[in-house]
Amino acid sequence: MRYPDSVRFVVSTLSWTLRAGCVAHLVHEYIYEFTETRGESMLPTLQSHYDYVHALKRYRLGRELDIGDCVVAVKPSDPSHRVCKRISGMPGDVILIDPSSSSELTNLPTEVILHDGFNKYIRVPDGHVWCTGDNLCHSLDSRSYSVLPMGLITGKIVAANSMNRGVTTGWGFRWIQNSFVDESDD
Amino acid sequence: MSLRKSLLALTWIPVVYTFTNHVYQPYQIRGSSMSPTFNPGTDSTTKDIVLVSKLKVKETSFTRGDVIMFRSPENPEKILTKRVVGLQGDRVRPKSPYPKAQTVVPRNHLWVEGDNAFHSIDSNNFGPVSQGLVVGKVVTILWPLSRFGKDILGGRDARELDPKDMLVKLIGEI
Repeated sequence: MRYPDSVRFVVSTLSWTLRAGCVAHLVHEYIYEFTETRGESMLPTLQSHYDYVHALKRYRLGRELDIGDCVVAVKPSDPSHRVCKRISGMPGDVILIDPSSSSELTNLPTEVILHDGFNKYIRVPDGHVWCTGDNLCHSLDSRSYSVLPMGLITGKIVAANSMNRGVTTGWGFRWIQNSFVDESDD
Repeated sequence: MSLRKSLLALTWIPVVYTFTNHVYQPYQIRGSSMSPTFNPGTDSTTKDIVLVSKLKVKETSFTRGDVIMFRSPENPEKILTKRVVGLQGDRVRPKSPYPKAQTVVPRNHLWVEGDNAFHSIDSNNFGPVSQGLVVGKVVTILWPLSRFGKDILGGRDARELDPKDMLVKLIGEI
């Protein structure tokens, strides 16, 4: 039995669309993603608006990541949101959780003692990382939701564009590098 | 012509892969932490194969007693199978070696335990698991065929008594 040409054309178009869509989805999930980021938490590395990041997915699940890398991760307290942070502690590292919680500039004298921010440490467990935003004053990060499981990391940010900049600057293209540099390198 | 056909067949691989990633995928269960629900008995070396549904895993669609698969918080390359014992906001009583006698499951986290409590690395070791780590929900056993489609819901701790059973039990006690 032979279907009319119009039916064959529609079916073939739909089937190729499905296959192409799946390829695009897999590229998006396993190779490369270009996505918008919002929020002040990564200032000055990323703007709070108009910024898009290039993320490489081969670093997902925390593979081959190092301290100082920028990552995109699923928010542990809300899987429908994603966060963009910098890794500031690897498994086994001992972290001072939040000294600013006992800062005399932003806290009452009673709170300084109550929070005891200079004496609260955590050892990052296996398979987790400690991550913080570059804008420590305005960032919801490991200091509030504690260690981030590496399984939630979906990729590493390698570059960014600012779409409010002109074409002449390549939409503000810049590489995003590891900001944790050894002293000896200087 | 046959080369063309086989190449055309290859273009369906991404579709199949996307399907197994987001809809249904069979998995083999290793280890005895979910015995007797999966891999019961110590004498046989057969490994159960189960069907895992990956639909709606990002939503809060879990209930106590569901068997889920998730990436281990301790090693993201490893996928574990455990039973949901506590949902967000639940107060649970962890077993050893968990340091606290009582704990509340945080927002969008799950408390998971293996059915075989004596041989299971679960929330009693690594604490509550973020729902973002969940890979899917076990729907049914596919292999061995003798236990195909057997009821897997309601583990020892999560099983709620049927009102009728409770009445019978109550009458028995009287």
